Amino acid sequence: MKNYELTREGEEYSKNGLPERNLVKILQSSPGKSATIDKIANKIKNFNIALKWSLEKGWVSKKGNHLTLLKVPEKTDEEVALKNISEGKDVDENTLKILMQRNLVVKITETYKKAEEELVKSGNVIGELTHDIIRTGLWKSRKFKEANVDVVTKKDWKSSPGKQQPYNQFLWGVRKKLIEMGFKEMAGPLIETEFWNFDALFQPQNHPARDWTQTYSLKYPKEGRLPDKKIVENVKMAHEKGIAGSVGWQYRWDPRKAMQLMPRAHGTCLSARTLAGKPQIPGRYFAIARCYRPDVIDATHGVEFNQTEGIVLDKNLTFKHLLGILKMFAIEIAGAEKVKFLPDYYPFTSPSCQLSALHPELGWIEFGGSGIFREELTRPLGVNVPVLAWGIGIDRLAMFKLKIKDIRELFSRNLEWLREKSMLQ
Amino acid sequence: MPTIEVSYKDLCGLIGRKLSIEQLKDLILFAKGEIDAADGDLLKVDIKDANRPHLWSAEGIAREIKGRYTSPGCPKYSIGKSSVVVNVDKKNKNVRPYTVCAIAKNLKVTQDVLSQLIQLQEKIHGTFGRNRKEVAMGVYDLNKIKSPIRFTTVKPDGIKFAPLDFQEKMTPKEILEKHPKGKEYGHLLKDCKEYPIFIDSANEVLSIPPIINSNHTGKITEKTKDVFIECSGFNFKFLMPALNVIVSALYDRGAKIESVKVVYPDQTIVTPNMEPKKAFVDMDYANKISGLNLTSSDAVKLLKKSMYNPVVKGKRIEVEYPAYRQDILHQRDIVEDVIISYGFNNIEPVIPKVNTVGNSDEREEYSNKISGIMSELGFQGVLSYTLTNKDNLFGKMNVKEEQIVEIENFVSLNWNVFRNWMLPSLMEFLSNNQHVSYPQNIFEIGDVVLIDEKEETKTRTVRKIVAVTSDSRINYQNVSSVLDALMNKMNLSYKLVKSKHSSFIEGRVANVVAKNKVIGFVGEIHPSVLKNWKLEMPCAAFEINLEGV
Repeated sequence: MKNYELTREGEEYSKNGLPERNLVKILQSSPGKSATIDKIANKIKNFNIALKWSLEKGWVSKKGNHLTLLKVPEKTDEEVALKNISEGKDVDENTLKILMQRNLVVKITETYKKAEEELVKSGNVIGELTHDIIRTGLWKSRKFKEANVDVVTKKDWKSSPGKQQPYNQFLWGVRKKLIEMGFKEMAGPLIETEFWNFDALFQPQNHPARDWTQTYSLKYPKEGRLPDKKIVENVKMAHEKGIAGSVGWQYRWDPRKAMQLMPRAHGTCLSARTLAGKPQIPGRYFAIARCYRPDVIDATHGVEFNQTEGIVLDKNLTFKHLLGILKMFAIEIAGAEKVKFLPDYYPFTSPSCQLSALHPELGWIEFGGSGIFREELTRPLGVNVPVLAWGIGIDRLAMFKLKIKDIRELFSRNLEWLREKSMLQ
Repeated sequence: MPTIEVSYKDLCGLIGRKLSIEQLKDLILFAKGEIDAADGDLLKVDIKDANRPHLWSAEGIAREIKGRYTSPGCPKYSIGKSSVVVNVDKKNKNVRPYTVCAIAKNLKVTQDVLSQLIQLQEKIHGTFGRNRKEVAMGVYDLNKIKSPIRFTTVKPDGIKFAPLDFQEKMTPKEILEKHPKGKEYGHLLKDCKEYPIFIDSANEVLSIPPIINSNHTGKITEKTKDVFIECSGFNFKFLMPALNVIVSALYDRGAKIESVKVVYPDQTIVTPNMEPKKAFVDMDYANKISGLNLTSSDAVKLLKKSMYNPVVKGKRIEVEYPAYRQDILHQRDIVEDVIISYGFNNIEPVIPKVNTVGNSDEREEYSNKISGIMSELGFQGVLSYTLTNKDNLFGKMNVKEEQIVEIENFVSLNWNVFRNWMLPSLMEFLSNNQHVSYPQNIFEIGDVVLIDEKEETKTRTVRKIVAVTSDSRINYQNVSSVLDALMNKMNLSYKLVKSKHSSFIEGRVANVVAKNKVIGFVGEIHPSVLKNWKLEMPCAAFEINLEGV
């Protein structure tokens, strides 16, 4: 019968060697069998443990920051014991004691016995699967009793309180405000053709934003289909020769490039689809879109991010109205006290404008990018009125409200934090 | 959006005024720039416009700011004629067919001039020149070159010269293998049997574009007086403006510009061509976009500040603008310059009076309601990435691999496919939270992506809900009762039908059937799956498709 088992740490060492052994190996291969701590510390997992034990065992000496190998030890009892335990073999008491002190091994007799007794009582068939049955591995040699899976059970309502995900809730708050301002929500697929992500937005096919370092491409599936022929012809014309008084980008537009599939890189593709789908005029649309870019992940770049953006269409809209919409967002959504407008650039808008908002606590923040869609974008999609396009940066606000410093925590993997986070807004 | 570095003193010198940093911050908006940081004399400036390379140097920014004070109109460049000739070989046609060239004399090369010239070249290469593919430029000491210069091709081991910053002579092939620039840009010549080369009449090498200059002719120092400039590539549309940007920057530094004759097998051109370009603006159109009700004479004043030469012709203003600009595709680009000149912050914002009724997407509305029900049922909402890896989706879940959406240029092996089901995301979540008190009841409403050949994007984005409950003792009823409560609240009648699923214990998993369709499953997770996630507490879960229910 198995009396002891390896802890997770024990399991790792039995596979990859004790840390002190790994330190010996590294020193052995260092010139002069010695090295400075800062040179080798990051080469070993659990360096501190390695140092502590190799000094204690007299394998290594330490002078200031300098480590020197004193001897290459034979295989130790501990190393033999770890292997034996992993194979279910017996091990002598003294070594066991040391390993248990190091928390590499735990005794399992009692839980095992108790769990086994319980199983015997129930006819050696697993009824309710328990923590102990999983831990002891008893499930491997027993049958599971079938449950009455097709019988409906009524919920016992006396359970603990649950909660919605805080960032999701924040997004819902923004959504509600936009709806109150008369915006209709747009939705679309997470995987887009380059046509909708770029070409329909008058982004030329050799534009740096279309480089593989800037946007993801797919290994599978590779190519999608282009939309309605007339739209494709119009977009091609806008790129190659220009339309509505534009000279265009003057290059040969490649439909195969436009068919390439990609995870959408911005929410603006939803605006393009909306414009092509006979939108209401006057109309206001918005989207909170999950987007994907191959950024190096750090405190300001998550694996995925949300963009909040949209459009306003009507005849007689001007740049003044764009500023009006931006100011409204800054006040209603960011609670801003003052706004500033700065010239900006997007390939699909002209004029383009960045919104800077004075937040009562955060100071001046870049709160949005915007512009009036170019004719080269709107005409091919069949729209003949001005279209004001805006995007607002709400993640910075979300982080402020949720009191977090790292953008990755918006998608928190920490249950304690999620449970404790007070309901906001 | 290039970020460039300029010296504060140098910038003020070029503008011809002593301006405070605060004043500069306001004025630099006219160059679509923002001062990100000021560290002593060094300013870091973020230029937003990725399509206007003339703004990516101290000279260009200063020119734009100076315009605010002097309303200069379109600058005039007087260009002399040099006797330098560049002969282009017909062999270049398949390698790197075109070049345009210029000469700048009497340069006073200071440290500022040198660093701005190098930076401008780098930024043009990287952004506008598509990493040297479309534009590669070189600047050389004119006095070390003997005209005529040949732009021809050479075999990879056909010549030896010392590349920039090296003393050792190498063949082009060796340069591609050993020189840092060779390694970085060598792929641009990957498929070429012969490499492009500039070489003078004394057989002195100038450069192997788009890789590297020679150390002898292609090194500019503070002692250099006269320079020869070339841009090479595939399209005059890129090359002409790139050359003009460099030439106008050196002109502003006081250099005397001279032209070069470039002789092709089928034509001869003289470059640089700094003749202003022509366009027009309709006043009605300008006011329709801006909403500013400008008169023609207002617009003329604003245009002159932005370096246009305007001439009013009725309701239309004809303009000339500098040859280094290639970003004006439509009259609205000129209108934008007029509005920038007017000042964005001098405009009174107007909230459009549009009566529209807002609403949320049906799916989101539905998701939010269900999210509310699940929290009432004692479940904590979580949010996961839709990107994950195959081991999480298949290996750890004990299910057979199937075709899913895969990313080609992923940045991490952890996130290189789209999830096709939700449960693995929550299993991963549980395995991260074993130290947290049990029971753990969690749910997520989110999207998965499935392959669907019928769709325009060959994929379908599907909204789903998944819920897991985990405790030291868990049984099927613990989770099927939650499902029942949810289905009742959603007013959805359903049946549970015994099924098989390799992630679940046999005999303890059922399909959820509603409207005669399987919409999901519910069951107790198999301990071998728990083990794969290093979980030691039993779990039961359900996952339901929310599309069309």
